[in-house]
This record gives sequence, C-alpha cells and structure tokens, in this order.
Amino acid sequence: MSPLIEGFGALLDPTVALCIAAGAVLGMLVGAFPGVTATMAVALASGFTLSLDPIPGLAVLLTIYVAANFGDRVPAILINTPGTPASIATTFDGYAMAKQGRAGLALTASAFASAWGTLVGIALLMVAAIPLSQLALNFGPAEMFALVVFGLTMMIGVSGGKITKGLMAGVLGLLLGAVGRDPITGVARFTFGVPELSEGIPFIAAIIGLFGIAEVLDQILTHRRSGVTPITQFGKWLPTRKDWRTMLKPLAVGSGVGGVVGVVPATGGDIAGILGWDQARRASKTPEEFGKGSLEGITAADTSSNATLGGSVTTTLALGIPGDSVMAVMIGSMVVWGIQPGPSLFANQPDLVYSIAGIMLIATVLTLGISLLRMRGVVKLLDLPRHFLWAVILVFCMVGTYAISNNIFDVGIMLAFGLVGLFLRRFGIPAGPVVLGLILGKLAEGNLRRSLEIGGVSNILTSPLAMTILTISVLALVVPPLRESWKRRRARTRATQPDTADRDTLTP
Amino acid sequence: MPTTTIRVTGGLLALAAVVAVGGCANRGGTSEDAADYPSKDITLVVPYQAGGASDLAARTLASQMEDTLGQSIIVENRTGGAGSVGLQHLAGRPADGYTIGYLPVETVMLGFQGYEVDPASYDLIGQMVSVPATVAVPTDSPYETLDDLVKAAEENPGSITVSNSGAGSIWEAATDDLGESTGTEFQPVPFDGGAPAVTAAIGGQVDAVIAGISETSPAQADGRLRVLAIFDDQPSESLPDVQTAAEQGVDVVIGGWGGIGAPQGLPEEVKASLEEAFAAAAGSEEFTTIITDSGNIPVNVPAAEYAEFVESETDRFEQLLSDGS
Repeated sequence: MSPLIEGFGALLDPTVALCIAAGAVLGMLVGAFPGVTATMAVALASGFTLSLDPIPGLAVLLTIYVAANFGDRVPAILINTPGTPASIATTFDGYAMAKQGRAGLALTASAFASAWGTLVGIALLMVAAIPLSQLALNFGPAEMFALVVFGLTMMIGVSGGKITKGLMAGVLGLLLGAVGRDPITGVARFTFGVPELSEGIPFIAAIIGLFGIAEVLDQILTHRRSGVTPITQFGKWLPTRKDWRTMLKPLAVGSGVGGVVGVVPATGGDIAGILGWDQARRASKTPEEFGKGSLEGITAADTSSNATLGGSVTTTLALGIPGDSVMAVMIGSMVVWGIQPGPSLFANQPDLVYSIAGIMLIATVLTLGISLLRMRGVVKLLDLPRHFLWAVILVFCMVGTYAISNNIFDVGIMLAFGLVGLFLRRFGIPAGPVVLGLILGKLAEGNLRRSLEIGGVSNILTSPLAMTILTISVLALVVPPLRESWKRRRARTRATQPDTADRDTLTP
Repeated sequence: MPTTTIRVTGGLLALAAVVAVGGCANRGGTSEDAADYPSKDITLVVPYQAGGASDLAARTLASQMEDTLGQSIIVENRTGGAGSVGLQHLAGRPADGYTIGYLPVETVMLGFQGYEVDPASYDLIGQMVSVPATVAVPTDSPYETLDDLVKAAEENPGSITVSNSGAGSIWEAATDDLGESTGTEFQPVPFDGGAPAVTAAIGGQVDAVIAGISETSPAQADGRLRVLAIFDDQPSESLPDVQTAAEQGVDVVIGGWGGIGAPQGLPEEVKASLEEAFAAAAGSEEFTTIITDSGNIPVNVPAAEYAEFVESETDRFEQLLSDGS
C-alpha cells in the first residue's frame, strides 16, 4: 500500500476526529486570548497527550497549532490586539478595516487568507520537504544576519508614509532590543539589576501593551470628547468577485514569502506576516492604502504568516530542527512517542509524514468552517457597552500576560508599553517600527556577532547567499526613491514633449 | 444570536478563570502541622518554560510523587532571567514542604554570573536526571576522534569554533573546561538555544558543537553528526559506539542535571516524606522510561549524596566561571 493512503487512512479512526475537533476549539480559543500563545497551549496540552497514541496525540497538538493561527486574527482585527505574535501584521489593516465598518469582510478575508496560506505550506511539506530542508541548512549566522537586515528595510514600509517618525520609532525599538544580557559575552546591559530583564524585554507583553492596551487607553481618554463610533457595523461578510480578484496577488506574494520564511529555522509567523505585508505593498498598484484598511494588506499578512506553518513542520520533520518555538515543544513529545524527526523519518515512516500533513489539512478546513460560522457570534462581544468592553479587554490582557511566565513583572511591562503606545499614538508616531526593531534588533546583533566570532567579516563577505540578500536589501532601499524621481521627471518630460509620452504609453 | 454570545463569552471567561486559577493557585504555606504533611496541594516550581526537557522531567516526576504523597502536585512554570527568577521565587517561599522546585545545574552557576542565586538556600531532596555533555562534528569533518579535534586546536589555539546553546550556558562552560583540561583554547560560539547550535554544526557553519546527549544522539543516529566523545564517567546506551572523554585520555566529566529541592529549613518529618516520595518516583518504571525515551539519563540520587554532589559542582563552577570572565 502506498504511504499516502496508509498515512491518510490512519486518520479514519474516530478518536482522531475527536482529537482534531478538541484541538480546533481549544486552539481557536487560546489564539484569541492575547498573551496565551500557540507555544504555550501546545506545551500545556503535551502534558496530557503524552498518554495518548502518537497519531491522536499529534492530532491534538497540530490542530491547536493550526487553529491558534486562525483564532489570533480575531482580537487583532476587532480590538487591535494581536492574539499571538503571528498576527501583528493583521492589526495594520484589519483594525483599520474594522474602524471603517468593514470588520465582517476583514474577518472572512483573514480566515480565507489564513486557510490558503496553511494549505500552501502543507503542499510544500508533502511535495518538497527534503530539498526545502536543505535550504534551511544553508542559513548560518551570516545568512541570518543578511535576512534580518533585509527585514529592517521594512521599517520604511510599516511607517505608513511618516518616514522620519517611523525611523525614530524603529531606533527606539532597536534600543529596547539592546536590553538584556549580551548574546556573546553574557554581560548584563540596561538590566538595572532586574533579573527579569536579563533575557530582554518580554516581547509578548510589549506587543500587547503597544497595540491593545494603548488602543483601550486611547479610547478611554477620547470617548467623552469625540464619542468614537463603536465597531457595530460589520458591513458585508463575504468578499465579492471584485474583492477576490484584489486578493489574488497578495495571496500569491504571501504564500511565497511565508513558505520561505517558514523553512528558515527559528523564524516564524510574526516576521513572515510583516514581511509578506511589506512585499505585497511593494507589488501593489495601491500601496498608499496599506495600513489604512487595505484588503490586499490583510490578505498578504495572513497568508504569509500561516504559510510558515508548513515550512516549520518541514524543517522539523526533515532535519530534526525545530522550525519555530511550537515545533520545538512538539519535538519533545514526538521523541517520547518514539518518533525521531530527521531525514530518516521520511525513509522509515513516510506514512507518518502524510498523516501529519493530513491532520493539518483536516484541521485547516475544520477551522476555516468554524471561523466562518462562529465569527458572527464572536463579534457580538463588541456589542457590550464600551466601559464593560474595556474592562473585559484589560482583564483578558492582564491574565494572559501573567500566564506567560507566572510573573506580575510581565503585566507591569505590558502596562508600561501601553503608556508608551499611547504616547506614540498621540504624537502620530507609528508603533509598527518599534515592534520590528524589538524583534529584529536582537536577531541582527546576535547573528552578526556570531558570524564575526566564526570567521570575521569574511564570514559574511564570502557567503553568496548572504551577499545576495544584502544586495537585495540595498536595492529595496535605493530603488523606490529613484523610481519615484524618475517618474516625476518623466511626468515633467511628458508635459513638455507630448510625442515621447505617447510612444511611452504604447510600450507595455 | 444572543445565545452564541453567551456561550462564546462564557467559554472565554472559563478559559480566563482556568488560566487565572492555574497561575494563582497554591500561594499557601501557613504553619500547617508537619505531622499531617501533606494535607493540601503542593506546588512544584519549574524555572523554565513548559514543554522543555526540564519541564518534562519535573512533570513526569511530579505525577509519580503524587501517588506516594496522596496530594496533587501542581507544576508552576516561573520563567525568566535564565532560570534565576523561578529559583529566587522558590528560595523565598515558606519552608513548609508545600512549595518545592526543580533545581537545574544553573542553580550552582548563576551565583557566579551576576544573579542572586545561592545553592545554600535550598534543602536538597534528590537528583533525578543527568544530561552529560557531548562533543560532535559534522559528518564530513576531518576530525575523527576527540584527539584530532584537540590537536587541531593546539596547532592554532582559538581557531576551532564550537557552538553552544548560549552565553553562560553549561555547554559553554563545558567548552571552556575542555580547553583548560587539554591546555588549549576553543572558540565558543553561543547561539540562541540548543537546537540552533546543533543546526550550525550540521550545516557546517562551525567546526563542532558541545551539547547535551539528548540533542546530539538522534543526529548521530541519522548520520547528520559524528559524536566524538561523551563527557560522562560511563558510556551511554543511546551512543553505543562513542567512547567517554576519559577513555580517550581527556579527563573531563561535565553536563547538565536536574533535581528537586525546597526552601531551606524544612521540618525533619516533611523532608523525610518528600525524600521517600522522591525515591519511589525517580525509581518508578514510568519515570525512567519517559526520561530514557527523551534521550537523557534517569538517576535516583538520595539527598545526602546529592548535597555532596551539589557542593562539588559549586566549587567547580566557581573556578571555571571566574576563570572565564
């Protein structure tokens, strides 16, 4: 019997169906709960699933993983609070759409985009796991550094047109990223003797503060004076034919970006979402709408962040290297079940690989179904009177943040970043670049220092992959302003020399 | 759809309650009578995240200890500060036996790395897991034995790059220890976690990796890495063809470990019941099977012997870590 049939056949067991259903509900709930990440949910669930057989156990864990990456979109769109870091980029356009009375369309488009991204990732896993995983091995410190530098060029994109303020915010993020023990020498920096800061500023607490708490504080302060209209208008739910056409390009761009980022070890949906969003903005005909409620923006962000799932599973299974933090936890469980991820898994147990792909496939379809059916109910939450809603959001954010490390310190960080976010907002400074600096600053420093330890500057200069990515980064910075000025010059030429301009329009 | 609203809200609130209760439960610790110990739930503090190797060892042991003690043991992951946050929290709890904790090797290291962690603040109950260090090279590496690697480092001190899981980690200390014992110098390259460090060796970005046996032995089995030596006093079943460093003439025994401790000053009876429950749990078949399957080595070291070991480890790291910086 072919491993494909055998692997999918193993899922016909009703226990597996039950496990997938339980995982889907649990995953969507934890995803929607700010602070409770997919990693935490999978880690806690793995304590219970160890007593199950491998396939039902994996069904619970993988489904939580998939479903959390749908559920986290809901608070991102409705209350500007990423449910998990993977939905940071969802807030850029999702919340803007909700404020325009298009929350319904934002939620369904996000669900479809997330499902599409996940499916592309699973397809990659089934078709090209081994060759893709070899790509992952090429990513050493030098290549990672180059990739992170490319990521830093996105600061301009997430600044929403306010380049100076955006770069200031980016520098703030980079500075905050410098807090913590030095990645190479272990010397404490800006920790003020606080042990909690030695691993850096708690990231999840910081993003919940910057996005969610800042939004609530802002609404509390402004609502008497201007009376912000609550998001009770959801508008239409399903995308029209025209919407679908608009979504095609970002779906493609997002799948590509997410697939690649997913394969690179130790990078996940948070970076992929922002990267996919920014690439789609560059490719878009209407880049100026990104960040202001663009359907393309939310589609690209969610496709990209979910396309990483298949990539992460691929690296995990094919190399035995965790593709992201959730898979790191899952490897622990697999090993206890006697499944040793690595190249030999594909040779010895190909049916298991198909079972895993099958579980993720079913989980995606089921979660998409739940999302589309349940969303109208979920959003009714927002019909609560404003002051109750604020209280509920604050309590949820505090409880979720406390659960990260069972330490009140994280809650304090969250509230402090809420104030920082409020301050930024009042002065028209975008919060996106702060987050980007916070994520990427550390990665950039650690990987640069590591590659210098390994082979000095030549370690970077002699890597073709790193140099290519660095060149692309430079081009990404230099080309748009050049093209802009070229366009302006051509417009001027056209005004004076109509003949040339006519000819120009004929060339495609 | 008002019913849906209620159901969804109810579900979320229930989840909030579960998380809140899970987080806040068991702050107890009043002066209970030591004679009826344990008369209520016990909290086991793990200073690392749920889902890791330490967490697995602690949770597996806890579920076995529950059988003997007849009370629930609730695992609480208090993370942060390289483990110091959880360890400090444990040291500050009342010494009544209702808060115990997982003590990793970092308990004896952090004090020399600028954290306020002192092994003397704990009453030791027993050690249950050992994670010997191993050194491994990519399969296409020219180094076939530990001696080859040491010779290469001798020829050009500092030229051999060795990845580890992070600055100040036990595996970085092991790298320094190997260098000092062989009178040469390796270039440690700290990564952000054990898996990326092993990946760097598989990908050939570094010359070698020093990591725990559970991280290198699967890679050796798959032919992705060649393990040159295990830094333990005896060979391991999971690395059947690999000699110990001592067998190859390098006298280094180093690695991670995990045990159970409680805030210092436990009443005698309480300590005795904990030790008894510990010994039964660490010796149970379920515990040893799960730990062996996860690639580490289950042990069952009683309190007195564990205390001696912790003392000798403290001395070792005092010397090793103050030399390093």
